[in-house]
Amino acid sequence: MWNTLILDPMVNSLLWIYDLLANNFGLAIIAFTIIVRLITYPLTAQQMKSTQKMQEMQKSKKWQEIQKKYKDDREKLSQEQMKLYREMGINPFGSCLPTIIQFPIIIGLYQAVVRALAVTPMQLLELSSHIYPLIPAAVLIPLNNYFLWLDLSQPEKDYGIPIAGFTIPILAILVVVSTYLQSKLMTPPTTGGEQGASMTKAMNLYMPLFMGYLAWSFPSGLALYFVTSNLVGILQYAIMGKLNWRNLLPIRTPSK
Amino acid sequence: MKPKHLILIFSILILAMTISACTGGATIASSWPGVTVDSDTAYVANNRHVYAVNLSNGTQKWRFPAEPDNRNSFYAAPARSPDNQLIVGGYNNTLYSLNPTNGIENWNFPDATNRYIATPLVEQSGIYAPAADENLYALDLAGKIRWELATPGESWAAPVTDESCSCLYLTSLDHRVYAVDPTNGTQIWESESLGGSIVGSPAHDPRGVLYVGTFGNEVIALSTNDGKVIWRAPTEDWVWSGPTLTGDRLYVGDLTGNLYAFNAGDGSEIWQVTADKLDGKIVGSPLVIDEDIYVGTESGKLFNLDTSGNIKWTQTLNGKLYTSPTAAGDLILVASTQPDELLTAFTRQGEKQWTFNPEPKKEE
Repeated sequence: MWNTLILDPMVNSLLWIYDLLANNFGLAIIAFTIIVRLITYPLTAQQMKSTQKMQEMQKSKKWQEIQKKYKDDREKLSQEQMKLYREMGINPFGSCLPTIIQFPIIIGLYQAVVRALAVTPMQLLELSSHIYPLIPAAVLIPLNNYFLWLDLSQPEKDYGIPIAGFTIPILAILVVVSTYLQSKLMTPPTTGGEQGASMTKAMNLYMPLFMGYLAWSFPSGLALYFVTSNLVGILQYAIMGKLNWRNLLPIRTPSK
Repeated sequence: MKPKHLILIFSILILAMTISACTGGATIASSWPGVTVDSDTAYVANNRHVYAVNLSNGTQKWRFPAEPDNRNSFYAAPARSPDNQLIVGGYNNTLYSLNPTNGIENWNFPDATNRYIATPLVEQSGIYAPAADENLYALDLAGKIRWELATPGESWAAPVTDESCSCLYLTSLDHRVYAVDPTNGTQIWESESLGGSIVGSPAHDPRGVLYVGTFGNEVIALSTNDGKVIWRAPTEDWVWSGPTLTGDRLYVGDLTGNLYAFNAGDGSEIWQVTADKLDGKIVGSPLVIDEDIYVGTESGKLFNLDTSGNIKWTQTLNGKLYTSPTAAGDLILVASTQPDELLTAFTRQGEKQWTFNPEPKKEE
């Protein structure tokens, strides 16, 4: 099921794009990521809409009143919140559901990159069972796994560029920076109180480091996906005029 | 640190573990066992160890390393040297020389920058080890580098020697075959692009012909003089391992599961046993002894056929049989991907003699 619906179409799309783009797997991953982001754009837009609605609701007088009134009765508070969600036509899971749906796509893409590069006999044998007849696999394999300074089949921890005796994981650093930028630029002003702000701040700090760790320790093809996906995400938000540039400035927003 | 931050970090760690679990990771084998035999011992490279197995009863003599190194795996079949060494390459980019009697390391060669998937060729003149870093390393028998040759693609198969011309032949995933001078590593010729990767070793006919199977769904005969194509014979699917040459016949399987017998002279098909009868991909080369052909399939079945393609007997194991069957005296050895039946010995009549399980359950 997973192979048929997610993995095989992804592997074959990657191989098809690789064939179109002069056998450059780096460009194939970039193009593929852009296509995936475009296909999942309705989910991104819906997520943004839900988040915005939620933000507006949290700013509303009624919401603030409920918070104050039932601050010592959590059960009642959540009942009232749900009531308000219903009144305003908001699905409380509307902002996280699209993210959850994107999760299998990320896992599938990782598997597709690793499977398509097939650097071990078992992976190559596996690949042979999943290629559609219209893909000229015999001509394409082995895929050229080099792109710029990257070996897309290897984790950067195994081959990073040595500068002054240190191995610098440039791609992992790019992942950290672009994830940080994306989370900062796309995070709307927090209205969930001090606790919410603190959580967002922590998330904005730990998530890029976590993504950087993944980029450093997983094959670089995945890291290239992360960077591209982050940049495309930022671009999509920019086109929609939703980037929050103020988050990048070291200025504290006065609390209301 | 605030408790909420700790919860956040914990959640991220859980996410990392989930991703690792979902993506397969390191626990999946990257290849299948490699087997070599001498007069009384089978040497099996599989996952974390190289095992020496007593051929008389299937018990373990030793294993290398004694304790598993989680950063290393062995899958290439070890090779015996004329001066009593066992040479085996690891996925940690290192080639090892072991004492075949006790498994103690003599020396290692750590200069490759990628894993050893191919079995090294070991001769009196030295060791020729292709690594996945696209280099062919030539060492003397003491493990000192003599020369290295950069090749345009990875080689996953043992090179083959040809004493008549002082050549060795190397197949490559880059769709070509190379002839190399073993004395200094200079390239003598390279074939044209053969239409698909070549993963198996070539079969060498001393009359001046090399036979290879390709991912271009073909078996191809090349002249050893200049690498020119002599004939091409079609198969239904990719050919993984090299064909087996016996007399004037070539036997080879494909990934659909068809077994073919070709005329080595002109590539004409003599017979074909279709996949519906053999039930699974054929990855290893067929073993031919006298008038018997032994071939393993992905479905875990070992078939014995006669040279007309008639099935004589079948034995079924639990794992997948990707490794070529190996002859050891009167025994047929079959390595499986199932760890608890790593190596099984059959008589030529198909009776199971013993099974080697590297980690038998301890008796309570």
